[in-house]
This record gives sequence, structure tokens and C-alpha cells, in this order.
Amino acid sequence: MSIYNEIYKNSKVRKPYNKIFDWAKSLPENVIVKKKNEAESLFKKIGITFSVYNNFDSTERLIPFDMFPRIISSSEWKKIEKGVIQRAVAINAFLNDIYHSAEIVKAEIIPDYLIFKNPAYELKMVGFKVPKRIYSPIIGSDIVRINEKTFKILEDNCRTPSGVSYMIENREIMMRMFPELFEKLKIETVENYPVYLLETLKTLTPLKCSNEPKIVILTPGAYNSAYYEHSFLADLMGVELVQGSDLFVENCITYMKTTRGPEKVDIIYRRIDDRFIDPISFDNSSLIGVPGLFDSYKSGNVNICSAPGSGVADDKAIYTFMPEIIKFYLGEEPILENVKTWKCYKEEERKYVLENLNKLVVKEVHGSGGYGLMIGSTSSRKQIEEFRKKIINFPENYIAQPILSLSSVPIFLKNSLSPRHVDLRPFCLVSSRKTRLVSGGLTRVALKKNSLVVNSSQGGGVKDTWIINE
Amino acid sequence: MLSRTAENLFWSARYIERADSLARLLEVGYRISLIPNTKSGYINEWQSILETSGIKEDYLEKYKSITREKIIFFLLFDGENPSSITNCIKNARENIRMVRTAVTLEVWNAVNTSFHELKHNIKETKNILKELPQIIEWVKKQVNLIRGTILNTQLINDGYDFLILGTYFERADFTARIINVKYFILLPSVNYVGSEVDNFQWSMMLRSISSYRAFKWAYGQEEINYVKIIDFLILNLTCPRSLIFSIEKIDHHLGRLVKFYKQSSNAKNKIKFMYKNFKSLDATKISDQGLHEFLKFFIKDIDLIYRDIEKKYFFGIK
Repeated sequence: MSIYNEIYKNSKVRKPYNKIFDWAKSLPENVIVKKKNEAESLFKKIGITFSVYNNFDSTERLIPFDMFPRIISSSEWKKIEKGVIQRAVAINAFLNDIYHSAEIVKAEIIPDYLIFKNPAYELKMVGFKVPKRIYSPIIGSDIVRINEKTFKILEDNCRTPSGVSYMIENREIMMRMFPELFEKLKIETVENYPVYLLETLKTLTPLKCSNEPKIVILTPGAYNSAYYEHSFLADLMGVELVQGSDLFVENCITYMKTTRGPEKVDIIYRRIDDRFIDPISFDNSSLIGVPGLFDSYKSGNVNICSAPGSGVADDKAIYTFMPEIIKFYLGEEPILENVKTWKCYKEEERKYVLENLNKLVVKEVHGSGGYGLMIGSTSSRKQIEEFRKKIINFPENYIAQPILSLSSVPIFLKNSLSPRHVDLRPFCLVSSRKTRLVSGGLTRVALKKNSLVVNSSQGGGVKDTWIINE
Repeated sequence: MLSRTAENLFWSARYIERADSLARLLEVGYRISLIPNTKSGYINEWQSILETSGIKEDYLEKYKSITREKIIFFLLFDGENPSSITNCIKNARENIRMVRTAVTLEVWNAVNTSFHELKHNIKETKNILKELPQIIEWVKKQVNLIRGTILNTQLINDGYDFLILGTYFERADFTARIINVKYFILLPSVNYVGSEVDNFQWSMMLRSISSYRAFKWAYGQEEINYVKIIDFLILNLTCPRSLIFSIEKIDHHLGRLVKFYKQSSNAKNKIKFMYKNFKSLDATKISDQGLHEFLKFFIKDIDLIYRDIEKKYFFGIK
């Protein structure tokens, strides 16, 4: 397995990295250590922390930030951008279809049980007209780079993808730490994201909404791992950040409790899971939801973004059909490829997987955040045998992929550079008028040497991502 | 503004004021313990500190006996004491964190930095007395910093009103409590008036609310007596720790909310009445009627006004 190091080509530094590499090499000793401390205290001051579940001693941690930027040239970016937009449009068409006439099932492109028996499929949404037919207005797809030419999509996140605040804050910190670099290089800005997001949400008005729509962000609360991001976005968009207890429903209308009395809410950008939205319609043990919210939604008095039941589209079993989905709804070839995936419910593919477990990554279909995953090359024999049993017993719950050689980018060690694996998550916004993204994304980096797991909950860090105009 | 936001702002300011008050109380305790031949006196002093902060029972349940070091630890750092300075700062930050977007970055930084620095200031019980002055200085400095950023950077909107209301509800309550705990030393007793002990006790009490020098400025070099102290701490509008000062501030900010929301409120009507009443009082009259009763009613009334605010602004339903 050869690893693609993004900064080299034929052992020469590639053009996009030229200047930054020279700059990094010319830094006097200890500058990075000093800047790192400075950056960390800045992060801490601003309050950018994330909570780690099951971590009792410290509920708040800083996400590790590496100051060597990840660079993508604007021509490379154009292809990513097109591919991501294409995918986002197809995903929304797919969701609209499976909650109405389900043509894709009738055409026998996807087996019906993979959709209708999917835990994320929401029966209560069948036949409901989602405002502007946009189910998932914010999509964060994870992209990996295999070689100089190829970017592939590893997974899609259509529910409530997080990380966009790091994209913006990483840039802010880099601009404060190294302003001279921004004068020298033409780096595309990412600071428009909150403006774009607000414009996107504004177009998604519910049926019964006559005036300027009142928009809120719904958060599970200050103990949620992404709470900082929720408050950050609310702040930059100038909308209220509410918790379930701040809202109530009366006669199918959703209100928020304010110091002036009740105020009608029109659009909810929710950052809580489907099942917690409304204890009456869904999980009745939910304390963070709003009783009656779903009825208010279905009667056209309020919009919930993303729509309940959108999660089917980012399920790993559906992921394997994404090329077909794009072809079916758009009549186009996918611009960005999927990673080769074996579906364990298919007998032949399962046979291959079971014979090659040590060379594959096996993933639980409904797992996320780097959990429920086995990397064959680094797992013990015992772990491999455990997964073998699981696959034989519940084949439809597993998929397998080749162990990807995620590309690598240097990180700063004390006084040297050392390559680490990275991925990329751009954030695509789908409104009723246009689909777009800012030029940039979140680069996650596995800080442990040779590790392929970039999730922040498992020892991953982040980098600023620069799209550079050539 | 969200009802919860208003409530969080109110309580964050209230906790900050409480941390400040506790620091000043501890300062007095420390001073007394430096003065020779007051051994029984200082035990009394620590006891009354516990009483003022309203946590004597919690303390005795945990520690059984009144010990200087343990009381200091309990008031400063004990996680089990809901009103310890540590918990006040923690709660203030937690409240602000919930409504991060309702305060400026500078206010958040001031509160957040205090929270992070707190960890470095926590000391073991053993050395606590020696370190106390430095810790008290630190708390007062942080509180002043936070308050400064609020005054200098916050938009003067309804959120600002709730922050200021939190401060003055806490201060009114605290000043009333401290006079109440000490009311016996303010009672005129023929034997003690003008004696050394009396002067000492009075000056200590003034110090505990940082008003010793202010008193001298307000009343000149005349002899201290209990009527003047009552006048100063309850009825003097120039004294920022007096009850009437807090009442005036609460009246002002509730008035602003009435105008801002174009909605009348019970709380405003009640505080207006109380303010008018206070202006017609004089210290001798209070003393004749019974200081203890007077304060008891005040604490109850101010709490009822708080309940009205809660109902009107914090619950958010008509």
C-alpha cells in the first residue's frame, strides 16, 4: 500500500505547497512551540472546546490544532466542489422520492428492504410535503485523497454534520498567528459561511409563514459535544440559540418563550437527533425535545431542518448505491467516486470479505464517529474473529472497504515536520435557489503516527485548509 | 430576548456579586485573626460569617466543629458548598456559557479566564490561612475585571438590565443579611456605647462591606455610633452597599424594562413603593421599631419582588 504524501511529486515539492514548505523550513527553532502555546491559549479563551463522552475527569477538552496548513489548488477544488454539489442535489432528490412514490425502488435499483426497513427511515414522513422539497440543506461529506488525481467520497453526513466552526476558527487563528502568509498567498476566504447558511435557511419557509421568517438553532444544551459550534453559528447569524425547554407548541403553532411573552418560530435549524425532537411523536423519554413539535411541523406552521428521516441517505448501506442514485435522478456520471465497497448481505461479496478480513476495513452500517469499525491490518486475530462471527450472523449490518491509503500532510513536531493522514469535510448548502459551498472545509488529521482514524473523539486533530488561487 | 437568556444573565451576575461579597467577608475574618487577645472573638466572628452566608448548617453537617482553616476552605473551595467562591465562579461561567451569544467576547473572556485561573489558586487546607490574602485579592480583581467588561462593552439593552438586576438583588440581600447577623452589636447598650470593643466591632462590620473609609468620608471624623451606621448602610444613597442604593438601581432598571417592553410589571410597582417608603424613613425610627424585624421584612419583600420578575420575564408564558 503506497501512501500519497500531498506535498511531494517525484520527490520534489508540489507547486501548491512550494511557498509554505519553504516558509516552514525557514522558521527559527522554537517558533512553532511558542506559536502553538499562543494558539492554544487563544482557543481556550474563546472557549472552543469539545466534550468527550465517557470522559468523566474532564468534560471539556481542546481539539488539537496543527499549524501546518493543508493546501488544495483551486483547479483541484473546482472538481471537488462540482462533485459535492452534484451529490447534495441527488441526495435531496432521493429523499423526496423515497418518501413519496419511491421510483428508485420500483425501478429495482435499490432493494426495498434497505430503505423501508432502515432504522433511519421515518414512516411518519411518508407523503408529507417537505418545504421546497429540501430534506437535507446542510451536507458534510467526508473526502479522502488517494493520489494526485483522485479524491473519493468516504461517507456523507446529511443529518447534523458538525465541524464547520473549526473550519472558521482555524482560519481565524492562522490569520492571527501568521498574517504575513496571508499577504503572500492568495487564499480563498471561508468567512462567508454563516451568511450563506442564513440565506439558505431563509429560503426554507414553512407553508404558513407570511412575514420575515423567525429562525432559531435548536441545541441539546451546553453539555453537548458540539455546543460551542451551536452558539458560534447562532452568534454569527444573529439568531436565537434555543433548547427544547425554550419552545412550546400551542394549537400546532411553535413559540419560543421570551421576556416579551411567546413569539412564533418559523424555521428550526435543529442540532438534535430525530428521535429526541418531540417526546410525543418519537422517543417519549426525551427531555431535550419539544412536545407537539412534529404536529406543528406537519401542519405547515414550522420547518425543521434537516427534515426528520433524512438520515436514510447517509446510511452506509445506501452509500454503496450513491453512483446509481446520481445516475437515476440526474442522468449524470458521478464526478467524485465512491470508495470501493463490498456489501456483506450479497453472498459473493461476503465470501470475498470473509476471506480477506486482514486486508479490509469492516464497518457497521449504522455506526458513526469511528466506532463500530475494524481495520484488518492493525487488529488482533481475536478482534478479526469477532467481526467474522458478526458478519456471518448479521450480514446486512456490515460493509467492507479496502484499507484506504489516506493521503498525508506534514504536521509540526517540536522542531521538525512529520507526515500524518488527513481527510477533508466540506460543507454544502442546499437552498431552494442554489446549492453552494464556501471554498474550504475542515481537514481532520490523525495525530498518531500511521493512524488512519481522524475523529476528534479518538485522537484526531484539525488543520486549516487553504484553497489557493494559482 | 429568550426568557432563559434573561434568567442566565441575571444569575451569572448574581453569582459574581456573591463571590465578591464572600471574599470581603473572609477578609474581615482574616483581619480579626491577626489581632491578639480576641480568641473567643474570632471564633464568634467565623461563626457569624457562616451565618451571614447562610450555610452554617451545611458546614456543621460536614465538619462538626468550628475551625478557622476548615471554614475558610469551605467558603473558598469546597465543591459541596453550593455557595463557595469556587462554585460561584463556576456557576457564573456555566450561566454565561449557556447564553454565550448574549454577552460580548470580552465579558466571556473575563469570566472564562477567571474560571480557568481558579484551578491554580486552589490551595490545601493546611496552608490556607497564609495564602488567604492573595486569594482574596485575586477574587476581587477578577470580579472587578468582569464587572468592568460588562460596563464597558455590553450593549445597554434589556440583557444589560438583567445583568445589573442580578448584581443588586444579591447585594441588597447580602447587606441585609450581614446587618441582621450583627444587629446585636448595633443595639444601643449603655455599658458598651463608645467603648473600644464597640468601635472595633463596628469598624469590622463596615470593612466587611468595604465601606469603612466611605463611612469616614460621608460622616467626617465624628464619633461612630450605631444610628449613623444604620443610616449609612440602609438609607444613604451615596453608599454603594446600602440597601436604598440597591433599591434605587433595581427601580431604575425595572423601569427601563417596562419602557423597553411596553408592558407594566408588578415588580416595578412594588419596588417603586418600597423606594418611596425608604426615602421617608430615618435611622432612629428604624431602630425604635426594631432593626431585626425591619430587616426580616426587607429580605422577605425583596424576595417577593424577585418572584414577580421570575414570573414575568423568566417563565416566558403569558
